Amino acid sequence: MRISIRDVGEAKIVEIEGDVDLGTSPDLRRALFETLLDAPKLALNLAAIRYIDSSGIATLLEALQDSQRRNKQFVLFGLSPAVQQVFHLTHVVRIFRVFQTEEEALGSA
Amino acid sequence: MPSDPRYLPVVRGAIGPLAAAVGWDESDCRAIALALDEALANIIRHAYHNRADGLIELECRESADGLEITLLDTGDAPDRTKICARAIACDRPGGRGTHIIKDVMDTVSYQATPAGNRFVATKRLRKMV
Repeated sequence: MRISIRDVGEAKIVEIEGDVDLGTSPDLRRALFETLLDAPKLALNLAAIRYIDSSGIATLLEALQDSQRRNKQFVLFGLSPAVQQVFHLTHVVRIFRVFQTEEEALGSA
Repeated sequence: MPSDPRYLPVVRGAIGPLAAAVGWDESDCRAIALALDEALANIIRHAYHNRADGLIELECRESADGLEITLLDTGDAPDRTKICARAIACDRPGGRGTHIIKDVMDTVSYQATPAGNRFVATKRLRKMV
């Protein structure tokens, strides 16, 4: 799994590439929590994720809860069919704010 | 396989093509790989407590009507009270792996045997008529 982070205005875009599983989700958790300290909004691009398991979903939920505690925004975009399938299987579709594109994610209030 | 998460992608890479050979479509193959991955992750976390030096025996075979997956480990026995399904339509982070396994597979069983903890899951291939 590779993680890259870039600035767009005040927001941070976090992009993940590869597999998020039991072995890699701790690295994703660390990156999301550190990034949430630095910006009022974090938009996570999931388009290049090949695989995500329940530990990855748990990491996203923890980041969402951390953002709410800090009064910051945490949004997702670019969900591939594989990621959408896991979101449905884990019943988290309605918990996150999900957008199709980066522009939509950044434009959301 | 060792109880090391580094080997999970290897298993996922093998089970998907096997499920495709049995006859499932791409979406079902992904779901079966996810269910197996979750079962292995449960063993790594709960039976071996994230130790990487345990061993997990893995057998996946085509059965008369689908696929049968058997896992055997010699770690701590699963806590049956924690295996039971619980409501997951909430934002609690943990506890979704077992639900995925039960959602995807048709039968799931856990058994303590003299050789270790035995997990068996089956999935039937529903042929179009």
